[in-house]
Amino acid sequence: MIDAALISSGTQVILSASSDENYPPEHVIDGKAETFWISTGMFPQEFILRFADTLKITLVTIHSYNVKNLKMEKSTSSDATEFEGIAEKEFEHTEGHLQANDFSLSGTTATHLRFIITSGYDHFVSVHKVTVEGIR
Amino acid sequence: MVKLRARCILVGDASVGKSALSQMFRSDGAHFQKNYSMTAGVELVVKSVQIPETSDSVELFIFDSAGKETFAEACEKLWGQPSVLCLVFDVSSDVSFRSCSLWLERVRAHCQGLQVPGVLVGNKSDLSSRREVETVVAQEWAQSQGLEYHETSAKEMENCEAPFLSLAQAFYALYQDRLQTIQTLA
Repeated sequence: MIDAALISSGTQVILSASSDENYPPEHVIDGKAETFWISTGMFPQEFILRFADTLKITLVTIHSYNVKNLKMEKSTSSDATEFEGIAEKEFEHTEGHLQANDFSLSGTTATHLRFIITSGYDHFVSVHKVTVEGIR
Repeated sequence: MVKLRARCILVGDASVGKSALSQMFRSDGAHFQKNYSMTAGVELVVKSVQIPETSDSVELFIFDSAGKETFAEACEKLWGQPSVLCLVFDVSSDVSFRSCSLWLERVRAHCQGLQVPGVLVGNKSDLSSRREVETVVAQEWAQSQGLEYHETSAKEMENCEAPFLSLAQAFYALYQDRLQTIQTLA
């Protein structure tokens, strides 16, 4: 088992719908909950992670704030095409602390994960950390 | 540097000058449509507003919605989750002013309890001899509803930017405030 979402594991953010240069989407995969990516207005919002290799994913954990609905899609292609939905969840609203949500994925294979935030509990939402447990 | 995006819902009775106002704003005063053409659905106007003394900006996606009741319901479906609100009436029409509370209610129903900055705009301020709504009255009502009041004349190119600039600034302030909250969380 590895945490495959880390920059140090070769993961990259290849797209994000919003960016404030002080809060870039790379903050999501630096392994720290203190740093974050923040959306800059309107929904939907999304970002796409590319892994160094094809992964068999067992668990994805997301630390966020004010996210309401989140959809997760995966691609098994090398060029981030043909995404298919694998999970969807309504997060609970938290105040004063981060939301932590797990997605069990029973070893689904993927080269990319796409996170689509379709609504929020506020105009702006933040994602602090995405952890991906899997086997190469 | 950051570029925010805000969904600005532009509403009010038919023929108060919503489209004239948004077109004047979009074209920096170069385009005042002299002939009335009724908006039947929603017209989207997109324009960036620079926030003074920063390198940041807010891109306003203005949803210029039909005021005519027949089309109102269909328009509402396109509003989505509003970021900011621009409510317009005609200072020479008391009826259009009295409709404002209904428009406000309509938009708020889409806000899901979120804080949505708004402005009230009294347009056609050039029609001073036909004025039916006094500035003080409009101002008081706006204040009671948490809206900032502006008077404009799209025809005379007066003050047309002010309401949109004020909305952009309010949305920007909201962003700064939320950033601060989030920074204290982790």
